[in-house]
Amino acid sequence: MVSKEVEKLLLKVQKPGRYVGGELNEVIKDKNSVDVRFAFCFPDTYEVGMSHLGMKILYSQFNNEDYIWCERVFAPWIDMEKEMIENNIPLYALESGDPVSEFDFIGFTLQYELSYTNMLNMLKLSGVPIKSCDRHDLKQIVVAGGPCACNPEPIAEFVDLFFIGEGEEVDLEVIDLFRKCRKEGKSKTEFLQLCSQIEGVYVPSFYEVSYNEDDTIKSFTPKNNAPSVVHKRLIKDMNSSFYPDNFVVPLIEIVHDRAVQEIFRGCIRGCRFCQAGFIYRPVREKSPETINAQCKALCENTGYDEVSLSSLSSSDYSQIVLLLEKLNEWSKDEKVSISLPSLRVDGFTDEIMDKIKTVRKSGLTFAPEAGSQRMRDVINKNVLEKELLATCETAFNGGWTTVKLYFMIGLPTETMEDVEAIVKLGQAVVDTYYKCPNRTKGRSVKVTVSASSFVPKPFTPFQWEPQDTIEQLHEKQSHIKECITTKKIQFNYHDADTSFLEAVFARGDRKLCKVMELACERGFHFDGWNDCFSLEKWLELFDECGIDPAFYANRRRSFDEILPWDHIDYGVNKSYLINECKRAYENTTTPHCRLKCNNCGAAKYGEGVCFEKRKNMV
Amino acid sequence: MKNARIWFKKDLECRYISHLDLNRCMLRALHKSKLPVWHTEGFNPHPFATFPLPLSLGFRGINECMDVKLEADNYSFEEIISKLNACLPKGIQVFDVTEPSMKAGKIAFAKFSIKLSCDKINSSTIAEKLSEFLSLEKIEFEKKSKKGIKTVDINQGIKTFQIEEKFDFVTLNVVLSAGSSDNVNPNLIVSAFENYLQLPVYADITRIDLYNSDMELFR
Repeated sequence: MVSKEVEKLLLKVQKPGRYVGGELNEVIKDKNSVDVRFAFCFPDTYEVGMSHLGMKILYSQFNNEDYIWCERVFAPWIDMEKEMIENNIPLYALESGDPVSEFDFIGFTLQYELSYTNMLNMLKLSGVPIKSCDRHDLKQIVVAGGPCACNPEPIAEFVDLFFIGEGEEVDLEVIDLFRKCRKEGKSKTEFLQLCSQIEGVYVPSFYEVSYNEDDTIKSFTPKNNAPSVVHKRLIKDMNSSFYPDNFVVPLIEIVHDRAVQEIFRGCIRGCRFCQAGFIYRPVREKSPETINAQCKALCENTGYDEVSLSSLSSSDYSQIVLLLEKLNEWSKDEKVSISLPSLRVDGFTDEIMDKIKTVRKSGLTFAPEAGSQRMRDVINKNVLEKELLATCETAFNGGWTTVKLYFMIGLPTETMEDVEAIVKLGQAVVDTYYKCPNRTKGRSVKVTVSASSFVPKPFTPFQWEPQDTIEQLHEKQSHIKECITTKKIQFNYHDADTSFLEAVFARGDRKLCKVMELACERGFHFDGWNDCFSLEKWLELFDECGIDPAFYANRRRSFDEILPWDHIDYGVNKSYLINECKRAYENTTTPHCRLKCNNCGAAKYGEGVCFEKRKNMV
Repeated sequence: MKNARIWFKKDLECRYISHLDLNRCMLRALHKSKLPVWHTEGFNPHPFATFPLPLSLGFRGINECMDVKLEADNYSFEEIISKLNACLPKGIQVFDVTEPSMKAGKIAFAKFSIKLSCDKINSSTIAEKLSEFLSLEKIEFEKKSKKGIKTVDINQGIKTFQIEEKFDFVTLNVVLSAGSSDNVNPNLIVSAFENYLQLPVYADITRIDLYNSDMELFR
């Protein structure tokens, strides 16, 4: 719904379709007949936010409850933001067009650290006080979840409560509690206190932090009866857990404009840099029957002609061939194509290739992550060069002529030799192409080598590691450029400045809140976008606040230091992470969950891959 | 194979989407409806649909059309209307299906209704200024294109016009040259009028109908 005032602005901005709602399958309710209004905010543009699966799941699930009306809010792009400010129009939700400030819950999903400023900016544009302590009543409850909630400390002063882990169950428990508390006339503090007793809820204002002289954390003290450790929530049975049979179908083109079907959560691999590989443990699969039925319903209800099977590593789905067979039974007749992103180098077989090629041919992307075998052993990637080359051979013989390879630079223990190996591997792929007898004749090969900068993340074996300095990263980037001697390899790299800021926030503590507050005051937004990001301005802010960002990004932390996120539990023991870190230094790999249980701790949930074998034995 | 011209309106939120987005939206609706529409036979088969005259972003359209080919005869036009509407957002709704009687290339004129309002002056002043402006011998406007700036005389493209003064806005009903050559976008008139007034004007533009060169309704 668009108000008369907004209508007048829309023709002055780019892509006005971002700001109007009105899509197929959007949920409209009568605001007077619901008890709780939830503004689901994605702190980025419409096109990015609408591509996010988590939001689609929770949007449907919340709206399935008669007493909740969940609406969507996205960050207006800079042109629209300017118009809104000049014309005194507060941020509004797309479905009703009502101001965000009128909502009971203002929920954010935090997918990447560089969206923090957008979150604060969206509160500011809504006219809602950004700090939790300045919002006194039982309304405008600011909640947040998503992977970045695993270290909530840099934004602890702004968010009333964090959802730790998977949201499908805990979110509804909190919303239901809110409804009861409001009926009983409880205060916001009373409500938060009751929330903090729910597993998977972290109320940051109920914890006091003290620091040592060297600025590291001395202690974390809970008050108001809050638990000393907050445990994550997790969906035990993926087959019975809620999944939407319907997506809001955008009117304008978005980043991932297709149906998305989740096939499992978690990852068996345990690559040591990968946060998702640890915080979503253990692996829990959906059955092929469930996936097939859900895919079919989604395509029928949305009209999409493409479904993407989503997971952290699709080829690790234990019944992938059976699943593709089932999907192929109807997808060809319905002119629906199945795409399989996140394929592992060692998982791309002829069989899979044939099945995903039937309707449409998309690009191929693999992530060896590191160039040398030693480096891949350090990060526990468990991929051999010959496996990658064999996979490329399969693809080239199958008609593909372009391959994208993802790498990281700045990994722990990396040398210039390891960096050079990235180019050598790219060259080996090029050479493989010309050895393939069945390659597409008359076409040249294109290998895209893409290098991002390593950012150490909480809850990974590398959480104690220093990040390379920006200078070191630049040196490595230019070295790669110099080493490439063929035009068949195209080199892309990620801006080191943004990776640095990401590293600061990823492992920051509560002292960063004042930097964030000042950033919001100064109008910082869209840090993930080159149009807006300026490291220089950020460094000025850190300087003004007397904070050294290198303390968070480039310092090696000791195993016995209290980390800002130590009071949060994602199921993987710290001792396991320490052990994995030590194994990395010894270039030793760790077998994945299906080969051997390594006792990471996630078996305590009593579900998933940890019990696959045991189930089969019964 | 049977040609069908599908008539729809583009309004509400959907007026803010571009022609490309409209095209995508329609293809998805055709796919979802499972109507026996002929598909292209290339690498990426998709329903084949063409639009006789695209509508600019921001305009409402009450008589818009899209041409498709039907592979089966056993569908009534009523059935097509209801099946498609179930697959479309509320801003795009089909109201008629016909067998095309004119080719898209025959379109020569389009009728628009333009509601004009301005914060700074009242509607009677707008109406007065507008009739002054439209009676100028030449309405020159600098049109920016990829090839650079060129000056066009919009007056050449205005076939007829009529001004209606309302309480807080003025409606300009105007017939303009349209089609693949000599197309005049009503936005040009609005911009030229803004220049003339030296004031910003808010324009709510609706395309009413399309005509051939003899001013017969395009069907």
